[in-house]
Amino acid sequence: MRRDSDTPSSVPFPRRRLLHLGALLAAVAVAVSFPSMAPSPYEITVGIAILNYAVLSTSWNFVGGFTGYISLGHGAFAGLGAYATGLLVAKGELPPFAALFVAAALVAVLAVPVGYAALRVRGASFVIVSIALVLVLLLVFQSWASFTGGSRGLVVPRPFPGMLRAEHHRTFYFLFLALLATALLVWWLIDRSRFGMGLKAIREDEDKAQSLGTPTYTYKLVVFVVSAAFTALAGGLYALWFGDLDPVFQFSILSGAYMVLMALLGGVRRLYGPLLGAVAVGYALEYAKVEYGDTPLHLVVAGLLLGVVVTFMPDGVIPAAAALLGRFRDTGRTSIREVTAAELRGRREQSDGKEVRDGERRGRGA
Amino acid sequence: MSDAEGAPEVGRKPAREPELGPGPEPSLATAGLTKAFGGVTALDSATVSFHHGKVNALIGPNGSGKTTFFNCVTGMIRPDAGHVTYRGRDLTGWPSHRIARAGIGRSFQLCRVFPRMTVLDNLLAAVRPRSLAGQLARSGGREETERARGWLTRMGIEHLERAEARHLSWGQQKLLELAGVLMSEPELILLDEPAGGVNPALIDRICDLVRELNAEGRTFLIVEHNMDMVMSLSDHVVVFDRGRPIAQGPPSVIQSDERVLGAYLGV
Repeated sequence: MRRDSDTPSSVPFPRRRLLHLGALLAAVAVAVSFPSMAPSPYEITVGIAILNYAVLSTSWNFVGGFTGYISLGHGAFAGLGAYATGLLVAKGELPPFAALFVAAALVAVLAVPVGYAALRVRGASFVIVSIALVLVLLLVFQSWASFTGGSRGLVVPRPFPGMLRAEHHRTFYFLFLALLATALLVWWLIDRSRFGMGLKAIREDEDKAQSLGTPTYTYKLVVFVVSAAFTALAGGLYALWFGDLDPVFQFSILSGAYMVLMALLGGVRRLYGPLLGAVAVGYALEYAKVEYGDTPLHLVVAGLLLGVVVTFMPDGVIPAAAALLGRFRDTGRTSIREVTAAELRGRREQSDGKEVRDGERRGRGA
Repeated sequence: MSDAEGAPEVGRKPAREPELGPGPEPSLATAGLTKAFGGVTALDSATVSFHHGKVNALIGPNGSGKTTFFNCVTGMIRPDAGHVTYRGRDLTGWPSHRIARAGIGRSFQLCRVFPRMTVLDNLLAAVRPRSLAGQLARSGGREETERARGWLTRMGIEHLERAEARHLSWGQQKLLELAGVLMSEPELILLDEPAGGVNPALIDRICDLVRELNAEGRTFLIVEHNMDMVMSLSDHVVVFDRGRPIAQGPPSVIQSDERVLGAYLGV
């Protein structure tokens, strides 16, 4: 919840901002140079998988992070984005990247009635409702084989037919990176806006926010649609990259659960929380799949991680680390616990001390 | 002064008005407001009106429907029947954010702030942008930050602006809640037990604030059990019992009303 505007005290602020900027530039440099440093195309595919997770969990965080509505069904939007893109290319014969954006727009339109229904309920009920859509779509896409290819899968034509495999991966690595940057930028813009402030108020206390004049339902719906659109873009880009879709993987509860896990791990209140979570979980998942590919061990890893995060770091890694660091810094100005009762009394007396003491006397008399 | 039934209440007030010349300008008013929860009738055809520009109080024993009344008039819950008007405008069935935008702010019985936001953000979250561009604009601009700091200073909690609201004491949270409501620029402020769980010094401070804000033109409607506070602060008192008004008038009259004493003491 630390925004630029939260830090009006001038002393530590420019240094922190400089540090922030330096870290950001370093991260961008590493991300951009990664494909040329990777020893083989395989490492690039791991990079793509992680970037894909990062876009998905950042997209999820538009709803989960701002409003606190935990959607376990966001996999549905990724799957729909993937299938819509694949079908528009394979059957609609649209140019691949036109298909990608048309698909995302279609999913955004579909997200309006879905959000309209789902966002009426809160808390655990919303979680359950959000799962329903994934399960329904899984059945539809499996059964309607004449259109979707069913369990045999849907082959999506490659967007760059002449391109070699390594070059194909490299290109998609940068496409995913650009999508991630866009999602992060939009999240950041919302975070610092009044719209974002309203969304965060919903997370804190929805009725209270509404009683202060925030049109909560509209706000939730708008951010839900934005979230669905970004999720669909990630799914569609995955379809163009991977080239083969299967309903079991596209409409899996797991993909939604991974988004939640990654965002929670990194910290849903932070811009880079889901990205950090995606790097950690994505790498762990890939590692488990490579080393113990024929066992479901990656699920055990994910489950354990979720348990550890929720138990020990309910706010995620970033706030936990920040809190740890904060112990070594001067917190005199940020924490009221650092102010003793005597100091507080002193300050009060300086400003309106007489009034308070008079009040106390009157209060005792009454 | 008091009538057993809700219906004669309606007839009584206009009958008095000629004596007083032009009567007080109506603020919030309800007609036949009814709300039942299962078998419990919380509001039983309540017809009542409050005065614009004044400090109004709503009192009554526990369970007499005061909070339900607040929730119905602010759109938190839908009444089963009846109408709510504010300065002649029908607000019945409006969602609570529209009612807030019509100029009615409220506090909650169990003080509600945004616990994990900073004190300053609690106020910035109450800014109500009217245009789409205003909603997408950056939060915490100079003008609104200064306005927020102004309210915090007035409440005496400006030194806490960067603390998270959940770390504040109960009394400080009460002041923060009031500051948040004021930040949303209401004309009419509904306070649900402002003195509940608050030490005497702070009660005095809240009373002073209400008087000052009223003098600046804001209307108040206060639900409160602290009779000293109600009687010293308010211009107009309405007494509820079993979901309907049983008496209304200036504090001096209410204090000696037998029906009111009966409702409170169970005689």
